[in-house]
Amino acid sequence: MNEARRSIFSRLVAGAILLSLVLLAGLWWLTHQTVSTSLQEAAQTEVDVDLAGLADIYATGGQAELEARIADRVALTPVEGSASHYLLADSRGTVIAGDLPRWPALDPMVSESGVIAIGKNSQGFARAVQLGPDLKLVVARSMAIRAPVLSSLTMAFALGGAVFVALVALLGRLAALGLQRRIERINLAFREPQDGSGLVATRRSSAGDEIDELTAHSAAALARMNDLLAAYKDTSEQLAHEIRTPLSHLDNRLVKALAEKPDAQIAERLAEARAEIRRIVQTLESLLDIAASKAHRGDRSGLAPVDLSALVTGICDLYSGSAEESGLELRWNVAPDVTIDGDERQLRRLVTNMLDNALKYVPSGGSITVTLEPGPVFVVADDGPGIDPRDRERIFERFYRGRNKGEEVSGSGLGLALAHAIAERHGLALTLEEPAAGGLGGAVFRIAAAA
Amino acid sequence: MRILYVEDDPRSAAAVGDILAQSGDVLVWEDNGSAALLRAGLENFDVIILDRMLGDIDGLTITRRLREGGIGTPILILSALGRSSDRADGLDTGADDYLAKPFEPAELVARLKALHRRATGREHSAVILYGAFECHVKARTAFRDNRHLALSPKEFELFRYFMENAGEVVTREMLLRQVWKMDFDPQTNVVDVNIGRLRRKLEDGFARPALETILGSGYRLLDGMP
Repeated sequence: MNEARRSIFSRLVAGAILLSLVLLAGLWWLTHQTVSTSLQEAAQTEVDVDLAGLADIYATGGQAELEARIADRVALTPVEGSASHYLLADSRGTVIAGDLPRWPALDPMVSESGVIAIGKNSQGFARAVQLGPDLKLVVARSMAIRAPVLSSLTMAFALGGAVFVALVALLGRLAALGLQRRIERINLAFREPQDGSGLVATRRSSAGDEIDELTAHSAAALARMNDLLAAYKDTSEQLAHEIRTPLSHLDNRLVKALAEKPDAQIAERLAEARAEIRRIVQTLESLLDIAASKAHRGDRSGLAPVDLSALVTGICDLYSGSAEESGLELRWNVAPDVTIDGDERQLRRLVTNMLDNALKYVPSGGSITVTLEPGPVFVVADDGPGIDPRDRERIFERFYRGRNKGEEVSGSGLGLALAHAIAERHGLALTLEEPAAGGLGGAVFRIAAAA
Repeated sequence: MRILYVEDDPRSAAAVGDILAQSGDVLVWEDNGSAALLRAGLENFDVIILDRMLGDIDGLTITRRLREGGIGTPILILSALGRSSDRADGLDTGADDYLAKPFEPAELVARLKALHRRATGREHSAVILYGAFECHVKARTAFRDNRHLALSPKEFELFRYFMENAGEVVTREMLLRQVWKMDFDPQTNVVDVNIGRLRRKLEDGFARPALETILGSGYRLLDGMP
């Protein structure tokens, strides 16, 4: 049901039904009014003609003749539903002739006309005239025919309208389903981008309409994305292979040289050279990891729920000893059961890099506070030297090293860049908070949902 | 140990051959995937070492086909693809361990021994006894000379891993992966510091050392006998 409410096509069909209903109601009202008015106008004409005839009779034949003619007319069997009714009365309203029981609320002096009640259930159009100083006449025409005509009209509209709305709903639904299926195919292709080939194989409708064009564009975009990802993967694997293999051979030679038991000084140099090889490999790996994270930014596939609370607690526990030995106070406030859809290995790397960074730059005697709150919001705050304002913009760039660092601080200059890329890959943003005015300085790194 | 090594680069093969000759293991080398698949099915090996980027069939496919074929010989992938996502791919495919080139020779030897030990079923017992040490796996308690050692939960896990690999070299990478589930080496000296704390608890009040640091490769649990 939720799915149906979210679809634009269901809303379009619902809108079409509503619009049909409104139009039908308006059309019914207009017809109803027109029919009703013309029926009344017809009655009015008949009454006026009749009245003119009777006035003529009165003028030529006098009151007695008029009474006789009225009696004749009343005696006539009326056509169904359109009987005429008469009343001839003196100025006080005393009935002289006719079949209406009493004088209606019409003023004969101004020849007033209007709708009056005839009998119990029926209505009629009537006009009253003053024939002489002590004689007045009212002629009424029953409009009993009006009610059945109008109710048949309403019934016809109701039945016709129901059929019409049902047709609109049915055809609309069919058209919507067709469109929905075509759009859904595009959505599905984007949801499972690795399998984008399905979109290309889709049979084009004969129309070659906008959706066909969108489908073609989507297929091309997905194919290009997959090609780029494949090319990226191939390139990074070859790069890794072609650099690591010769480095591995080089390392083997150094191991062999060390096995010959050289003197202490040479052994130390050889060990340093091996450490250098390790650093090159780590830099290469970090660069490739950053590229991979950036390539997968916004891609939700392959992510699974990760218990961030347990992950952060475990890493803080691992680092507590090292912090203590460096003369640092490491505190952590971790809210329970904070989870995120993510790549657990990468998230471990992210938290580790943030702690490595803090432990590296905060001098002995300082403190580091790690906070995890639902959201998730992950904050690493310290009271170290902080980040120089000139570095704030560039601190997350590759190979950028801040100014406020001690002499002994070493590293690849990739830790924060990798953390930044991993955060982005998870839809999070790693930011450096503005230092609080008059605060103790220090750096506050915050990872939270990207704005 | 009888080891099958599949590697298309002769220099890498020679280097591994040198390392394993010193530990007295027998190395059978194949330089292509199809020959390796055939051989792995025909002969018995204690461990198979696989390169990933081979000329014909890549290492992950070999792993998958061996596992699908019901061959459960422990597999160590030794590859130039060493990023943590590469390692995850390898382990997900059915390999038992993953080591990236360039590697420390002692690391390779230690990993192979650990794999072989695990395959021959020398673990998962309720109580592990080694020298003066006792590790009660279920009760999560540790003893030396019948004296209870007050270990934190994580220290117990470390201790248990050392007991499972008693007398053998355990490398920093193995500890990071097995105990802390990290497939990379953090910049901070976290492993050394945590080992240092465990060492103090294992040695406090005893005359003989319990843990030996082996420079450049890792640590070894000693029997701690007086």
